[in-house]
Amino acid sequence: MRTRKLAVVAGIVSLAVIAAACSSKSSTSTGGGGATTNTGVPLTGAGSTFAAPIYTQWGKDFNAVESGAQVNYQAIGSGGGIDAITKQAADFGASDAPLQADALAAMPADAVQIPTVLGGIAIAYNLPGLTAPLNLDGPTAAGVFQGTITTWNDPAIATLNPGVSLPSTTIRPVHRSDDSGSTFVFTNYLSSQSATFKKTIGADSTVQWPSGAAGKDGSDGVAGYLVQTEGAVGYISYDYAVANNLGSAAVKASDGSFVAPSVASISAAGAGLKFPIGPDTNVLNSSVAGAYPIATTTYVIVYKAQADQAKGQTLVDFLHWGLTKGQDTAASLNYAPLPGGIASQALAALATLTYNGQPITPSAGA
Amino acid sequence: MIGLTLASGIVLIGVLGLVLAVLASGGAPTFAKFGLRFLTSSRWDPPHQEFGALPFVFGTLLTSFVALVLSVPVALGLAILLNEPISGKITGPLATFIDVLAAIPSVVFGLVGLFVLAPWLEQHVEPLLHTIFGWVPGLGMLFPALSRGVNGRVIGAGGDYFVAGVVLSIMILPIVTAISREVVATVPRDLREAAKALGATRYETIRMAVLPYSAQGIAGAAFLGLGRALGETIAVSMVIGGGASVGASLFAPGQSIASAIASQFNGATNALQRSSLLALGVVLVAMSFGLAAVSKALVGRGARRLEPTPADLADPDPGSPVTAEAA
Amino acid sequence: MATATANRQPLATALTRSRRAKDRAFSLFLMLCAALALAPLAVIAVFVLVRGAAALDLNFFTKLPPGSLDPPHTGGISNAIVGTGMIVGLAVLISVPLGIATAVYLSEYGRGRTATVIRFTANTLLSTPSIIAGLVVAATVVTWTHSFSAYAASLAISILMWPVVTRATEEVLRLVPQELREGALALGVPRWKVVLKIVIPTAGSGILTGVMLAVSRGLGETAAILLTALGNNYMNTSYGRPTAWITGYIYFWARQPQAVLQQLAWGAGLTLMMAVLLLSISARVVSVRRQRRLT
Repeated sequence: MRTRKLAVVAGIVSLAVIAAACSSKSSTSTGGGGATTNTGVPLTGAGSTFAAPIYTQWGKDFNAVESGAQVNYQAIGSGGGIDAITKQAADFGASDAPLQADALAAMPADAVQIPTVLGGIAIAYNLPGLTAPLNLDGPTAAGVFQGTITTWNDPAIATLNPGVSLPSTTIRPVHRSDDSGSTFVFTNYLSSQSATFKKTIGADSTVQWPSGAAGKDGSDGVAGYLVQTEGAVGYISYDYAVANNLGSAAVKASDGSFVAPSVASISAAGAGLKFPIGPDTNVLNSSVAGAYPIATTTYVIVYKAQADQAKGQTLVDFLHWGLTKGQDTAASLNYAPLPGGIASQALAALATLTYNGQPITPSAGA
Repeated sequence: MIGLTLASGIVLIGVLGLVLAVLASGGAPTFAKFGLRFLTSSRWDPPHQEFGALPFVFGTLLTSFVALVLSVPVALGLAILLNEPISGKITGPLATFIDVLAAIPSVVFGLVGLFVLAPWLEQHVEPLLHTIFGWVPGLGMLFPALSRGVNGRVIGAGGDYFVAGVVLSIMILPIVTAISREVVATVPRDLREAAKALGATRYETIRMAVLPYSAQGIAGAAFLGLGRALGETIAVSMVIGGGASVGASLFAPGQSIASAIASQFNGATNALQRSSLLALGVVLVAMSFGLAAVSKALVGRGARRLEPTPADLADPDPGSPVTAEAA
Repeated sequence: MATATANRQPLATALTRSRRAKDRAFSLFLMLCAALALAPLAVIAVFVLVRGAAALDLNFFTKLPPGSLDPPHTGGISNAIVGTGMIVGLAVLISVPLGIATAVYLSEYGRGRTATVIRFTANTLLSTPSIIAGLVVAATVVTWTHSFSAYAASLAISILMWPVVTRATEEVLRLVPQELREGALALGVPRWKVVLKIVIPTAGSGILTGVMLAVSRGLGETAAILLTALGNNYMNTSYGRPTAWITGYIYFWARQPQAVLQQLAWGAGLTLMMAVLLLSISARVVSVRRQRRLT
């Protein structure tokens, strides 16, 4: 009796193990690429919380186009996305920062970085009572986040905002405590604006912020803190700021005007994006008129040589769809679509994906 | 049969070996580069390739210390209470409730801690502590004044060392109580009765006979609780605030070793950063194991076992009149 | 006369009064301790119940998680419930047989150094922080198989559940009277049969309690699964793919600013608490019933 039970248990365990081994490679697509339609297979993407809303929405909308394509996007931070794609544990990684030299070297095979949408990093704050966006410039923002400017009515802020009555509340800066592409972009911006910031803190996805500042995981965590804490200031993607009714600062551009983040001002910044994407590529401090200074492209990182045909096809279909039809969704979610010239260069980069040496062409409808 | 069962034991040893191997090999580059400086430097600075674990070690120790200060006295009181000849109708349910507290998942502690406890502590308890202790030279630094917003509400950081310490104290209370209870139960009846014969009150009996005898075991229970507190990840990371401070203030947001690993591990692409996180894991594991060993040594003589076991669940009150009747 | 007595208090009476005061204060302290122990439980129970109940409806158990802009009561944790079941289910299948086998070795066969080392290993793994288990499996299984998966998560929590089962089972096996074993052996029953057919069944409900404790632990696990299962917005029934699980959603949604997601976090917390409480109470009932049977 007992032996029989043991045998049953052993049987179930073996079945489970076999099921696990077999199930990771199931696919249901009919037809390869070209002009045939594809039902798609589940994909896994991981990375940037900055771009999470757009990829999640694209996933939902794309599911209606290819019913088998369930794009499971997990927002674990840009660093997590790069790590996942390097380990080949995800089908695509999402990062706000382009791959740096050591990350590129760690990739086991050739990878391509494709920009998908443009976004802005808003300097969001919780100051009830302010009717117009606060004006800030680079050096002042650096001072705030370095901890040298401690109250909202500090003269440095007051001079930039004549006629606005600023409260004497303590400034509570909040940063990202996880590895973050948003941190990468924002610290790069501050380093370009303040030599002290560059020297003491520097630019990376995780930096040593001053003692006493709060840190939260994820853009959502930062947004949550900002909503609850009066006098708090932090850097989050523009759409999170809008979604949570947080004020966003108007940042001083290179021509001296103060530009607030908006779909238009972010889109304007994208015009200067240069291919091929390198470790230093960014659209910060764009000299285009009306461009928001702290704009960023967000990238999808995929391998050129795809190992699985069904997955590779679905991936190409998904990204092609995103770079064409998906761009319309961008504006409604407070991201900016890629400017025309940039979008076609991105599509060209996508076209370099291959399976078994053959280029993968998007299916019909994608 | 012996072969099969022995094999499973060997596999277990293999698993532990794997754990140690992964941590050691992963953390080796960091220790090679920084040596002991890893533990004493407070710069966790990926852009400049400088990794010092002090902020996280400090955070872990500070929150665990607060947890001990708050939970050990209560655990002691409970241990004494549960060993007194009071009706089993009180001690039975009391012991049950403490066991239930032990079964609550860590993430639920974090949820209640974040939404209920943190705001209450920040608004009411922390200012009170500042008023009581803030003026004391030295100690007062731990309890600084809190900034308030325009409507007088305290502006919290969404968590700080103190809140994390309080949450931890609730989480380690069951284990410290369980061990302390066992330790107090082993005090020989003769000692108690001798004190009673001399006319001692209950308080005096406990002070003269019970406490000295069980002091060592209670210390062991505290160490075990400390070991648990060190490794607690999820609840702590939800209420500790996520800041980077090493300053001596209980009301500042911070990180513990475990919460830092949880935040940064999935995202670390910088090879040295990943190695440093694994090295943090080594430090954490070394601290937990060390404390468990010390605890065992201290408790070993006094109590029969180190963990509440199914036998405990079946026996709500060892030595109480209730189980004596049932037997 | 009265004044004289009042002035000439015997020494013993004076001592008794302050001694009684101290004793009373101490009793108060003991009661305070009891209150302090119960207060957190009451607070947790009340808040989880009230806020969690507001989230529970049919959609909660049958629908997939909503987006952050969706209205309340449209989404649920159906994929997480299935995922948790899968992950903990496989972990039980791995850790329970292995845990019992190790305990049997320690209690029935183990002598000398091997047994000491095994027992030390079990104790060490028992006090290992859960994030370390997750870290190790992430650095090995996830990296080698190029996939976040449900079975990697199961492996990670098996590392944590195995010593719980072993410790509980060994305790209970030791309580089985030696006479039972000796009697059977005297009758010529082979050793392995004595263990399998007499010792283990006698300890049966105690082992069941240990298993319930381990399952309780597995259900409450977050950190280890965080690094191994990644998460999944869709329903997943395959062990080889990333999976959602209940504690992960609580952890993630608790820090979101949207009220609809926070409400779901409370609902998930209530669901989990009910499962864990059910297990704890069942474990206790089984133990008490067993105690009554043995005595």
